[in-house]
Amino acid sequence: MAGTASGGSRRSRLAPYLLVAPGILWLLVFFVVPTLTLAQTSVTGTEGPWWEAYHRALSNYGTHFFRSLRYALGATLLSLAMGYPLAYFIAFRAGSLKNMLLGLVVLPFFTTFLVRTFAWKTILNDGGPAVWLLKQLHILGEGGRLLDTTIAVVGGLTYNFLPFMILPIYVSLEKIDRRLVEAAEDLYSTPMGAFRKVVLPLSLPGVFAGSLLTFIPATGDFINAQLLGSPNQQMIGTVIQNQFLEVRDYPLAASLSFVLMAVITVGVLAYARVLGTEELA
Amino acid sequence: MSRRESDRRDDDEIHAVIRQAITRRGFLGRSARSAGGLLLGSSLLGACGGKDGAPAAGGDAAATGGGKTLRVSNWPLYIDKQTVADFEKATGIDTEYTEDVNDNAEFFAKIDEPLKRGQSIDREIIVLTDWMAGRLIRLGYVSPLDDAKFPNKANLVDSVKDVSFDPGRKFSVPWLSGMAGIGYNPKKTGRELTSIDDIFDPKLKGQVTMLTEMRDTFGLVMLGLGKDPTKATVADAKAAGARIKRARESGQIRKFTGNDYAEDLAAGNIAAAIAWSGDIQGLAADNPDLRWIAPKEGAMLFSDNMMIPKTSDRQDLAMAWINYVYDPKHSAQIVAGAPYLPAVKGAGAELAKIAPDLASSPLVNPPDELRARLHVFKALSDSEDTEFNRIFQDAIGA
Repeated sequence: MAGTASGGSRRSRLAPYLLVAPGILWLLVFFVVPTLTLAQTSVTGTEGPWWEAYHRALSNYGTHFFRSLRYALGATLLSLAMGYPLAYFIAFRAGSLKNMLLGLVVLPFFTTFLVRTFAWKTILNDGGPAVWLLKQLHILGEGGRLLDTTIAVVGGLTYNFLPFMILPIYVSLEKIDRRLVEAAEDLYSTPMGAFRKVVLPLSLPGVFAGSLLTFIPATGDFINAQLLGSPNQQMIGTVIQNQFLEVRDYPLAASLSFVLMAVITVGVLAYARVLGTEELA
Repeated sequence: MSRRESDRRDDDEIHAVIRQAITRRGFLGRSARSAGGLLLGSSLLGACGGKDGAPAAGGDAAATGGGKTLRVSNWPLYIDKQTVADFEKATGIDTEYTEDVNDNAEFFAKIDEPLKRGQSIDREIIVLTDWMAGRLIRLGYVSPLDDAKFPNKANLVDSVKDVSFDPGRKFSVPWLSGMAGIGYNPKKTGRELTSIDDIFDPKLKGQVTMLTEMRDTFGLVMLGLGKDPTKATVADAKAAGARIKRARESGQIRKFTGNDYAEDLAAGNIAAAIAWSGDIQGLAADNPDLRWIAPKEGAMLFSDNMMIPKTSDRQDLAMAWINYVYDPKHSAQIVAGAPYLPAVKGAGAELAKIAPDLASSPLVNPPDELRARLHVFKALSDSEDTEFNRIFQDAIGA
């Protein structure tokens, strides 16, 4: 029956479109439309030229942008430093403990982000155990504190986004063919050499994905800075939130959001150029 | 509970926790919420409607999709534990009392759009500070109070019967009033504080917090600079903003907070804070050292007002609530749990019967000498409000 055959092939030609349609529709309604509305908000409703809000955003909040990028970068590097060895251990050495360790990495997600950050407030309290210990060790001076400092904010960001670093790296390490490592060692590579020449390059897509998943949300985060920082540690997310909800200066808030998006996009593109996205699985 | 309702609740709970960090009068884990008693059926409601002289029967309410439930939105820590249950028992009105007002500006941002479009905000009563109440009345977002169902309006104290933003109290009546002054821990400061300048003392570096509520923080700092917050100008705001900004940049100010200054004060993280009068009294149970003072330069006075959103379809229930809390006995009971200033005649006398210590406290009944030093922040126009807010947000670094 020729009809059925041609019908089948038509269906198969349509299938990809049908598969992407829900996702595209979703993005259209919940991303493209709001973004356009936001763009419109950012250029209307102000006295003066259309770029007035952008001018204010850039001239008044430069420090907040740089601070956010600095903190997010710090948190990403710390997450990488802690996350890579852990992911490596889970993927290559954990044996029967593997599933339990992965479970532990994900476990914090069972409590909300906010409550966990609040818990840090208690831990880092001036009268709390962490400050007491550091004072005993003379790492922290008499009047020193942890809460409401840069260390607390970057620490909080690192803590909250660490699992997003660990999981992609774990996945990329997990699927490396072990025989490649054996082959390297058969060819007289030292374990370190095998790691550097085989494992590390093959895990880079995971590192790339992990650092994006950490860096991007950390840049826009406002909870950690608000709960664990002083007014001198406020990040751009706090400013945007305040401009939207407190001051209700919508054009400024919208233009700040766009500047943030632009900064992150440029950063990510530059990073992708260096590390290469074509290997991203 | 319908699914939509439970979604809204989850959302509200999360927001309540978020704002706890950011804004005024929020406490983690204490967002006591009184969901209405499920046992109360619509038959009881019909009876209650009759008592209030409301013709609306339960069936009508159901048909409009509105509730037979009274939904009250108020600030956290602003009521005792008994009143909602007593009210339900006395009137048979199913009541959902939610502590989801944490910040005037933020709450306004939430209700502005629906009210502008005439949509329901799922609340019968909202409680907001004078200046914000004035804005809602100006915008026509609230319904006039039905005096026929409000015989206890006679108990409204004379001093607030006529206010500039609501002459004759047609749209709003005070819930409670309070003062913004300085709360401190003498053990940490090592001395008594008496002046606003004391919180700028370099010895307290990194141990001071201020409020995110602009009128309270600006008001006190202006008083400290010898400016009059009742007639605040943009120049005054700039002067106050500059002083706050310098103190923030030097590290003098540890944080700008909502109600969470209270935890920091009780935990010993900070020595002094711009603080609300009723809170320190409440914290004395945890930390009896804490003190609240109205500085010699003066303190700020604020009132929070009950209003009925124009889109509420059960205004009769709202009026029953308002009338109930304007009974001196009931008002006294509320104040016993939240030591602020009632605006109900005879509440002081009733309070003396149930909590004599509190009744004589200056927090609930300020002596004349203190009253003379209390100021209400100038009623700002919308454009002034925006300008002041810009200066303030820049000063606090947000």
